[in-house]
Amino acid sequence: MSTPFTDAELAAYLDEDLPQERMASIEQALRDDPTLGSRLTGIVGSRDAGVHTVGAMWRRNRLSCPSREQLGSFLLDVLDTNQAEYLRFHLNTVGCRVCNASLDDLRTHHRAEEQVGLETRRKKYFESSVGYLRSDD
Amino acid sequence: MNDSSQANVLLVEEIRRGKPTAWSELIAQYEGRLLSFVESRLRRRDASEDVVQETFIGFLTSLPNYDTRRSLESWLFTIAAHKLTDHLRREGRRPALPFSSGDGSAGNWEPPGSDREASSIARSGERRGMEDAAVTAGIAEQIERWQAAGDWQKIQCMELLFVLGWGNKQVSEALKLTEQQVANFKFDFLERLRKIVRGQRLSEDVFPELQG
Repeated sequence: MSTPFTDAELAAYLDEDLPQERMASIEQALRDDPTLGSRLTGIVGSRDAGVHTVGAMWRRNRLSCPSREQLGSFLLDVLDTNQAEYLRFHLNTVGCRVCNASLDDLRTHHRAEEQVGLETRRKKYFESSVGYLRSDD
Repeated sequence: MNDSSQANVLLVEEIRRGKPTAWSELIAQYEGRLLSFVESRLRRRDASEDVVQETFIGFLTSLPNYDTRRSLESWLFTIAAHKLTDHLRREGRRPALPFSSGDGSAGNWEPPGSDREASSIARSGERRGMEDAAVTAGIAEQIERWQAAGDWQKIQCMELLFVLGWGNKQVSEALKLTEQQVANFKFDFLERLRKIVRGQRLSEDVFPELQG
């Protein structure tokens, strides 16, 4: 039975480097299709024999991954259009797990900072105005 | 991408000197993204936190092997991927495969152990490292050129061809290019890498994609 997975994806699977849905698909297929296991074993053997692939070097060294700062700019929507489009491709089409994790983390920080900002603002408004509170009694 | 900044080098030096504040700073910098990475797969916070904890312990035990020229973030994610693989295997979610240097926590981030023939691994590892470093530098340089020129489509094209392993036809459809354009981009890119391999007198046999 043939499978839709490329060798590059199977190599990425070995490194826990595909999006979760794709990882789960491969794991399911491994249970159903013994030939997929043989392909994986072949990839493992090839690596152990010292064979290099461009994709593995590219992924392992994260050669086209944006920096943390660029991901932050992407989140704030201040990247130029072409670069932002590339980042969307890298995050969604390539599905880079590490960059997606980093972006999630930045979102969490951003929300936390917004929350701190909100609380600081409310405190400032309260403290600067509370002295004017009058009781009707 | 390169986060092996001077700040990270200094941070690791401080950790090597046993400074708790430096260690705490590293944890604060990286725990969030590591947790997100692991949790995207496990979908359970408790188990994910355990894997991240094992990752940090793994980092400290492998610290003598860490080369600060390498990206600190990549090193941490490599350890996390191995720890996650171990966890999934223990849970039975990840089918067991034959032992490999690229699969499971016996990978090359561990300190030299007694379970493998260290001398043969070191010898072959050195050669592989040279090959990897030479071609990786060539790819990185090309990507930087494309980035500087705003030539994002060529990066996308190579990423689909080599990182995802798509065929020329599928890539041409995805990027709205002709198959001939994809083939030309691919040829130019591989030709550049071939020149690097030949220039450094490396064996082309271990780069099957460059043969042709």
